Amino acid sequence: MLVAEGLVKRYGSHRALDGFDLEVAPGEVVGLVGRNGAGKTTFVEVVAGLVRPEAGRLQVAGIDALASPRQVRALAGVAPQELALYPSLTVREHLRLFAALTGLGGRSRRKAVDALTEELGLSEVADRRAGLLSGGQRRRTQAACALVGSPPLLLLDEPTVGADPDTRRALLSSVADRARAGAAVVYTTHYLAELDDLDATLAVVDAGQVVARGHRAELLAHLPSRVRVEFAAQGVGACGQASEVVEASFDPAATITRVLAGGGLPRTIEIQRPTLNDLYQELAASHGR
Amino acid sequence: MAARAPSRTLVLFNHNLTMLAREPGPLASRLVMPLVAIAVFEPLDRAAIGSRGGAVQAVTGMLVLFSMLSLALVGGSVLAERLWRTWDRLRMTPVRPLELLVGKSVPTGIVLAVQQAAVLGFGIVAEGLHARSLALLTMVVLVWSATLVAIGSALSLIARSQAELAAIQDIGSFIVTSLGGALVPLAEMPSWARQIAPASPAYWAMSSFRAAVDGNVGAAIHSGSVLLGIAAIATGLAVWRLKRSSTRSARL
Repeated sequence: MLVAEGLVKRYGSHRALDGFDLEVAPGEVVGLVGRNGAGKTTFVEVVAGLVRPEAGRLQVAGIDALASPRQVRALAGVAPQELALYPSLTVREHLRLFAALTGLGGRSRRKAVDALTEELGLSEVADRRAGLLSGGQRRRTQAACALVGSPPLLLLDEPTVGADPDTRRALLSSVADRARAGAAVVYTTHYLAELDDLDATLAVVDAGQVVARGHRAELLAHLPSRVRVEFAAQGVGACGQASEVVEASFDPAATITRVLAGGGLPRTIEIQRPTLNDLYQELAASHGR
Repeated sequence: MAARAPSRTLVLFNHNLTMLAREPGPLASRLVMPLVAIAVFEPLDRAAIGSRGGAVQAVTGMLVLFSMLSLALVGGSVLAERLWRTWDRLRMTPVRPLELLVGKSVPTGIVLAVQQAAVLGFGIVAEGLHARSLALLTMVVLVWSATLVAIGSALSLIARSQAELAAIQDIGSFIVTSLGGALVPLAEMPSWARQIAPASPAYWAMSSFRAAVDGNVGAAIHSGSVLLGIAAIATGLAVWRLKRSSTRSARL
C-alpha cells in the first residue's frame, strides 16, 4: 500500500529525513516510534502531501505520491499531531466538512457521520462546538475527521496524546477495526502498550531513518533486563556488601538467585524489562550517534 | 470517490460562509462604521468642494477607506486558519490550492461587496448621491471587492503572526487610502502626494467609483483594469506562496 524509499527532507542544515525507507501493507499497522525530532512527523507530512522531500521515492497504492500528491491525499485519512479544529464549528459540522472534501455526499455522508459519532462516543456532543469540548472529545473529533470515508491509508500522528483512557480505548478500537477491514495504518506514538493493542509492527526512527523494524518482542529480545537488589541495613553490615546490586541480565531469575546466595537480607528486588529508550540508545550507539 | 473540483469549492464556500455567520460582530461593525463616518464627513466635503462633488467624495472616500480597513476580515480569516492549524489540515485533503483560496475568499468578497452596496445605497438615499449608471457601479464594486480579497489573501499568507498582519493592514490601509485621495480630495493634497497617488490601489478605486457615478464607461474600465491587474498580481503571489509553503503553519 505504501512504499517509501530513500526520502530526504532538510530544514536548513537539519536533515529531518535522511534516507527514510518504509513499507506498509494493506491491513498492517506500523507503529512509528522514536525520540522527539527523529523524523516521524515529517514522514507523515510528506505522505500527507504537506511537505515535499528533496529526494527519494514514495508510492501509495501504486501512485507516485510525489508526482500526484492530490491523488494520494484522496486515499489518506490524516490525524495530525496537533489539534486542528474550528472552535466555532460543531463535531458534526467537522465530520460533514471532511466527508464532503473526500467525496461523500447526501445520504452516504449522513450515514458515515452518524456511524462515526456513535463509534467514537461523540453522539452526545455531536452538536456542540469544538471550542466547548473536553480535550478527549477534541482528540476523538480529530481522529473521526481522519476516519470518515474509510480511507485505505490512515496516517495517525500521536492521536491519543493527552487523551483519557476511554478516549484511548475508543480510538484504538476504531483503528484496529479499520486495519482488519484492510486499511494500512501508520501510527506514531510514544505509548508502546497502544501498539501492542493494535498488534502493530514497530519501525524505530532515529535521525531521519528507520533503523529497526519488527515486532516489539523481537526488537527488545537482544537487550538485557536490569536487575536491582537492595539489601536491608543489617544485611549490608553482616556481609560487608554494598547496600544495592544492579546488574544487566538476560536471565533475571538466575542473577537474583546468584546475588542472594551471597548472603544478606533483601529489602527490594526489581526487574526492569528493556524499554524502547534502551533500544534507542543501543541503536544510536551502533550508528555512532 | 473524490468529489469533482466545483463541488469541493462549493463545500469550502459553504463552510466559510458558516464560519462568517457564526461570528457576526466584525461584519456588523464594518457595515455600520462607514455609514456613521459618511454622515459626519459629508458636510465637510460639501463645504470644501461643493454639493455634488462633496457627496461623491464623502461616499466614495469612506467606502474606499472602510473597505480597505475590512482587509482585516479577509486576512484575519486566512490567518486564523493558519493559527488553528486547520489550513494545513485542509491542505492534507484532495483540495487544490486555488480551490482553497477561492472557497475561502469568495464569502469574504461577498461581505465586502455587501458593505460597499450598503454604503452606496446609503449615499444615494440619505446623501443625495446621484449615480448615472448602476450597472457600472455594480461592476466597480465587484472589481474592487476582488482586488481587496486578492490583496488580503496574499498578505495573510505572507504575514507571520496576527500582530504583523494587523500592523501591515492598519498602517498600510491608512497610507494607501490617504494617498489615494479617500480622506482628503486629491486636489487639496500636497503636490508630492498627488505625484505618487497613482501608486496606491485606493487611487484607482476612487477613480473607478467616481467614473461609475459619472457614467464615464471608458474611465471606469481603465481604472478597473488597473485594479484587476493588481488583483491578478496579488492572486499570483498568494497561490505561489501557498504552493511553495513546504512548512507547517504551526511554525508561525
